[in-house]
Amino acid sequence: MNTVFLFDLDSTVTKQEILPTIAEEIGKKDEMRELTEKTMMGDLPFQESFRSRVELLNQIPVAKVAELVSEISVNDAIVKFLNENKENSFIVTSNLDVWIEKLMNRIGMKGRYYCSHAKVVDDKIVGIKEILAKDSVQDMLTSKAKIVAIGDGSNDYDMLRKADVSVSFGGVREIAPALLDISDYSVYDENKLYELLTAIRNEEDADE
Amino acid sequence: MSNKTVIISCAGMGTRLGAGKPKALIDIDGKPLIIRTLEMLNDVDDIRVVVGYQAERVIEVVKNYRRDVVFVYNHGYQQNGTGASVSLAKKYSRKYILTIDGDILIHPDDMKEILLSETEFVGVCKPSTDDPVLVGIKDNKVTNFYQENGPYEWTGVTMLESRKLTPTDGHVLHLVEQVLPLGYKIIREREIDTPNDYKNAIIWVENGYKD
Repeated sequence: MNTVFLFDLDSTVTKQEILPTIAEEIGKKDEMRELTEKTMMGDLPFQESFRSRVELLNQIPVAKVAELVSEISVNDAIVKFLNENKENSFIVTSNLDVWIEKLMNRIGMKGRYYCSHAKVVDDKIVGIKEILAKDSVQDMLTSKAKIVAIGDGSNDYDMLRKADVSVSFGGVREIAPALLDISDYSVYDENKLYELLTAIRNEEDADE
Repeated sequence: MSNKTVIISCAGMGTRLGAGKPKALIDIDGKPLIIRTLEMLNDVDDIRVVVGYQAERVIEVVKNYRRDVVFVYNHGYQQNGTGASVSLAKKYSRKYILTIDGDILIHPDDMKEILLSETEFVGVCKPSTDDPVLVGIKDNKVTNFYQENGPYEWTGVTMLESRKLTPTDGHVLHLVEQVLPLGYKIIREREIDTPNDYKNAIIWVENGYKD
């Protein structure tokens, strides 16, 4: 294994933004939209925003949210890449373990993800144990593999900046402006992303 | 899937023209220069555009025309040359790269010819710019650049086998020089470096690409 691929989840692997989609189900779309936009543009600190967004949704039973999340549509070409490169791909998301587990199973990424962790009592979220700092994943990986990171939001900035190859993906929503300063590539089409990542894997593995 | 990646280098600032925007975006008879080039590349399935100066503006224009372009960043565009842009863009590309400087306009018929090529070549034209890089030719092949009284001028278009090239920070010619001698193709084109070049390019298009 010569190359490790780290994927942001929300609007990179998924075709819809996860938390806004759930908020819509319970009529809190506008509040969620405002928080999400501010965060993506870097106008609201991520941790603060994430806690506020979780609060908006924490009265819904966890099982119900997990169900809704598991039905979110995904970019098929990216999921294809994930499944063809299971051994060296990870999802890196600040979303909560209890909300995304089902979706991870559905796209074949069981156990292949890093995320934030929630405290749950009686099927309700009562707190957050830990919000994942996305760039910490690079430090956890002990192998000397080349790291390729793919994301679209402000909270992917450090993960992309620290990666050997950074790809910002604008296929679902606009890429956060800050990422343009540090990306090696910007790609707006999921099939092109698949082709680029496959080329990176093939070339790096050939050099091994 | 073809074995060709087309690379258009649009990272530079174009200071001699002083348009206040990347040369790829200057208007040529109603359309940005890069759109005129992309229109000739509609059948190409792998295009990379290298961006640097005002990257966001270039990306916006290109992706509104087609979304399947891969944008490659040359963040060091203020210090390095077109060779650096091509060196970055050739990584993880297909077998052949067809490189086109973002400040030239190619005759549509010649672009069709270029796209049919299955081998490496250097694009040349009759000397026309104020400060041409002339090529030396022997046995129907380009053997060197900066040839005094060379019969043709280097154009900014070349097709090369990607893997053979050692990256450079300098001019794209430093990449081509590594693999000379190479065959050549005569291309009709307009390079836009100065306000006068710009005026001539517009007239050329208005006259239906007639010299």
